[in-house]
Parts: sequence; structure tokens; C-alpha cells
Amino acid sequence: MIPTSYVFGHESVIDEVATNMAAFSAARCLFRSYSLVKNVDQNTGILIRCSRRMLCSAPSDSSSPDAHVKPQFMDSEVQDILTRITGLNLEKVFRPIKQELKPPKYKLMTDAQLEEATQSAREQAQRLLKMPPVLPERKPINDVLSEDKILEGMDTAKYVFTDITFNIPHRERFIVIREPTGTLRKASWEERDRILQVYFPKEGRRLTAPPVFKEENLKMVFGQDRHEDMLDLCQVQFEPDSSEYIRVHAATYEDLEKMGKYDLLRSTRHFGGLVWYLVNARRVDGLMIDMLQKDLLQDAVSLVGLFNKVHPHSETAQEASSQQAYGLDLLKIYAKRESQRAGYVELALQAYEQTSAESTV
Amino acid sequence: MVRLSSFLLKTYHGGHIVIRLAMAGHKQSNRPFYRIVAAYNKRARDSKYIEQLGSYDPLPNIYNEKLVSFNSDRIKYWMGCGAHPTKPVAKLLGFAGFFPLHPMTVTEAERRRALAEQAEGAAPEEVVKQQEL
Repeated sequence: MIPTSYVFGHESVIDEVATNMAAFSAARCLFRSYSLVKNVDQNTGILIRCSRRMLCSAPSDSSSPDAHVKPQFMDSEVQDILTRITGLNLEKVFRPIKQELKPPKYKLMTDAQLEEATQSAREQAQRLLKMPPVLPERKPINDVLSEDKILEGMDTAKYVFTDITFNIPHRERFIVIREPTGTLRKASWEERDRILQVYFPKEGRRLTAPPVFKEENLKMVFGQDRHEDMLDLCQVQFEPDSSEYIRVHAATYEDLEKMGKYDLLRSTRHFGGLVWYLVNARRVDGLMIDMLQKDLLQDAVSLVGLFNKVHPHSETAQEASSQQAYGLDLLKIYAKRESQRAGYVELALQAYEQTSAESTV
Repeated sequence: MVRLSSFLLKTYHGGHIVIRLAMAGHKQSNRPFYRIVAAYNKRARDSKYIEQLGSYDPLPNIYNEKLVSFNSDRIKYWMGCGAHPTKPVAKLLGFAGFFPLHPMTVTEAERRRALAEQAEGAAPEEVVKQQEL
């Protein structure tokens, strides 16, 4: 059993939990009275308009293949799609996290105040759901500033010199190492992270990575369905472009995809990263089936739209742009052309059509 | 007397400003740790300083590194105001590349190398002597 101190850093483990969000209790009241409020209905109109807009841009991409620029994670359109797919389940975002035990606060509010409180809770939730960046892996630093052979044998230990001027960003700080052989070189990325943690400590970060991040321990954590905690811990410990961060995230996403447990990340800030990884690896089938089974048709449509944007030379994208399809047709094209588990996807589509026909009838 | 007058005139200070190493271990532990500090020349080594400019840990850590930090911005300021660095500080900053290399570092390195060669020269001789015996 992994002790929870690994996962929750320096906070003590308490079984009882309490929230400190007055807005959360207000949102809870709201949810009890409006139990079927979902974003799905609100977003339908926006989605259809957006899917049309996306397909209008697709022909221009395919008509000039030489000028194709691969959409990046931080593009506003990509971020829009990913935010929509992530969903906004207020209950899950503001669920009690392990904190100091405080008695809950109750407030008496009018309807207008309740709506204001819900609105501010929504904005707070959107800020909490801000996606962490996905960056390419950083290139190692091999810069040698000077080689002084005359200094060889001056000492048995290395000297690490850090510039602790206050106003420089950490990426531009000078951290140089004088080896016992006399070479003066810049510090490597791992050394930089460690030494910056010594002089400018970040909360929750440790000097040496906790052993949870080794392969065997990761598997144990995934067996306990704690992917989200794992990703949060990884966020705190490593820089977004370090190899460790990318490795842990890849392992988490692989395990989620293998088990099909997309729901664990659904209303958290890591869902966008998961979708981006799967779209780039072209393995969107599992997620698609999961969405169709949960009747999230609009999410599935926007997922296929995102896939077409990122891989505009694939068959799906070209056929979709030629037929100007949207909605269920997009999904059918995807099921025919690209997916490996076409049978499953078509079955799920048929089941959805049946249920929608029954509900309209 | 210098000390009496400094007691009477609160703003009097003897000497100039230096950048030097001050021990920060409170004299009780068997573990030295230095602060790189801008202080008045006549003050005691560990007593009140004007500004701390960095630190130096002479004992290597588990990665065999001796950690030195210095605030280059403020060191430039104090040097501009006419502060003198002491020999150990000048040597450290010469290692860092902030100052040019101190000549004594080269001499020390040569001396150490000579000692090491002598020790190597002595050790094989001893081995040979033991074998002969």
C-alpha cells in the first residue's frame, strides 16, 4: 500500500473532509434543485456552428498542402475543442479534497445571490480546469564555457555557482559548474531543477523525485485508480518539458486507454492532455466508443473534428471536407475509414440512433 | 581610540567596505557554512554586515558538489561603490568565471599536482621495498 503521504505531500491524512467553498455549498443546493443541468444542451448550438466553421477551414488546408502548419496544443481552436470535451461537472471539480478539518459554513441567500454565487463558482471551476501545457521534450545542455587545463587537480569536488539575482526568470539564470578537471560548463537540466529547488523552493516539490514515479510503483498506483492524483503530483514535481514528466504522462495515458477508464479524468484539467495524446497517436477508438455509450454525441463529433484538424491528410479529413459532412455523418465517415474497431463504433452509432428515435417517438 | 569614538559617533566606521566570507554556523556545530557578505572592514568576522550577497558551503553534498551562490547584480553594485573582495572570495568568483582567474589558484593547483606526483612516486617505491623485503 502506498502511504497517502506520497500523494498528498506534507498534508496530514484525515478521513473526514470539509470544503472551504461557500460557493460549493451554494452550487450543491443548486444541483439538488436542478439535478439535470448539463452543459450538453447549452453547447449544442455552439458545437454545430463550430463544426461547420472547422470544416470551412479544412478545405483551405487541404488545397494548399505545402503551406500546412500542424496545429499546436496551445492554438485557441484546439483549446476550445478540448475545453468543451472536458466538460464542467461542478460536483467533481469541487469535490472535497483532503484538507484541514473545518466545520462547514452555511449562508442564507436570495435567488439572485445564489445565481451570482453559481456563476462565480463556474468561473472558478474554469480557472481550475486550465490545462497544463504540452511541450516537446527539452534538448540537453552541453555548453562548455571554458577549459582550463592548468586548474586540473585543484579540488576533489565540483563547484556549483548559482546566480541568485532576484529579477531573472529561472530559465535564464546562470548555473555553472567547475569540474575538478578544470572545465567550466553549464549545468544540465536535472541539475538545474535540483539547484533551483535548493535556492528558490517551490511548494510540494522535492529535491529527489519520490519513488512513486518508478515503473513498478506506477502500475500499483494505476491499479488503485489514482491516475488523477498521480498526474497532479507529476505536475508539482517536474517541469513540463522534462523527460520524466513526458514519460509519466505517457504511461498514465496508455494505462487509461488500455483500461478504458476515461471517466476518471473527465472533468479534470488533465483530460485535454489525454485527448491530445490520443489524437496524435491516432488511437481515438476507445474514447469514441466510451463517449457514444454515455450519449455524448456532440463531444464525439468535436473529437472527430479535432482529429481532422490535426491530421488533414488522412482519409477521414479529406472525405469529410469533400462531403461537407457534420454531426452523425462525420462519425460514420470516421467509423468507415479510420477506426480499427469499426464494428464497435458502428454498433454504438446504431444503438444511439435507435434510442434517439425511440425518445422522439 | 577607534572603538571609543565609534561608540560616541554612531555613524563613524573604520576602514572600507569589503566583500568577504562570514561564518554562519553559530560556533557550536562542527559544520562550517559561509555567507558571502558586504561588511565594514573593521567589524568582527561574524557580526553585523551591510548586506548578504550569497553563500558558500565548503562541505560537498551527496552529488560531490560544493554549492556557491552569489547575487551578481548586488556584487557589481558594491564593487562599483569601491568594495574590496578578499582573497577567498576573489578565488571563488574566479572559479565561477565572474572574475578573471586568481593567480594563486593556478599556483595552488600546481603545488597540489606536485604533491600528488610525489605521493605517487613514493607509493610505488614503498611497494617495491616491501616486495624486496
